[in-house]
Amino acid sequence: MEYMVSGRTDTGTLRKSNQDAIDWCVDERSGQALLVVADGMGGYEGGEEASRIAVDTVMEMLAPALTEGMPPEFRRERVQSALDLASERIEVRKVQAPDLARMGTTIVLAWVSGNSALLAHIGDSRCYQLQQDTLHCMTRDDTVVQSMVEDGSIREQDAPNVPFRNVLTRALGAADATATFGEVSLASGDQLLLCSDGLMEALAEEEWHTRLLQAESVQSGVNALIEGSLEKGAKDNVSVVLLSTV
Amino acid sequence: MASLSQLVDSVVVTTFDIDQPEVSVGRRADNDIRIDEISVSGHHAVIESVPNAYLEGTVDYYITDQSSTNGTFVNDLRISGRQRLNSQDLVRIGWNEFRFVDEDENAMEKTAYILD
Repeated sequence: MEYMVSGRTDTGTLRKSNQDAIDWCVDERSGQALLVVADGMGGYEGGEEASRIAVDTVMEMLAPALTEGMPPEFRRERVQSALDLASERIEVRKVQAPDLARMGTTIVLAWVSGNSALLAHIGDSRCYQLQQDTLHCMTRDDTVVQSMVEDGSIREQDAPNVPFRNVLTRALGAADATATFGEVSLASGDQLLLCSDGLMEALAEEEWHTRLLQAESVQSGVNALIEGSLEKGAKDNVSVVLLSTV
Repeated sequence: MASLSQLVDSVVVTTFDIDQPEVSVGRRADNDIRIDEISVSGHHAVIESVPNAYLEGTVDYYITDQSSTNGTFVNDLRISGRQRLNSQDLVRIGWNEFRFVDEDENAMEKTAYILD
């Protein structure tokens, strides 16, 4: 299976800084790819730094593992150690710079290999799988609101109105950096989409599919989502990393 | 603390504090908030205050219609199940309009942050 990956992050129409960070790499020889999106928080300097540390650490620790040809059973452990290291580095920066004391970040990553992908996430950045006519969210938001939807306190459609809808129950930079893992099976033609919450807030999910179906390449698919969010006045930073399989 | 202010022609005429775990609203005398008006059922609705299980120090307010004849509405939509109230929601009990205000909600941060 061959992969094509593209990504883009944009400050949006309202924010002064971009606290999202993205990266990806494809190892054609081993037929593997790594995609990552992080959404920082805790003041704009802190947010920028936390998401950058997270993405850089993940790439530093995991990109070599793609070429090494690491057996699948060791991948979760490797991913978790990369996240633990990112968490430690964020902690160190917090101690060094009191201004950054509240910094943290979400993270979502996909380690794609053959016809499957290992997903790991902390926070409310998401991974979606796009198959022919369907779009599935493959991650569960670590948010107060998600917990309230699940315990029946509120209905899903009421979630956007709850004032603390952005409060995370887990994040890199908080005490516990344990990620939630998932596996996805990929068929030829499937796409994997990683995004920050800026995309969900700006552009309705129903519109993603149309825009992606009309796109001629993975790059134009990414641009269609970002441009679409900006047309809708994206208040938050918007980030997308998209993988297409052939 | 939260309160429910009755509006007549968009002017506040009475304010009721939601100061206990369950506040009943209805036409009969045994209600905590009594509205003696023909469109209001005997026991019309209940407002609960519930500490949020995931966010310490936050209280959520929920309204439930008690099978009233003329319905309970939040922002002009008739409610069926138990519904969470947000500050500034317009609550209608039969034909009577109220503004729900949660003072503490306005103090909440609107940007993302971590629950540590």
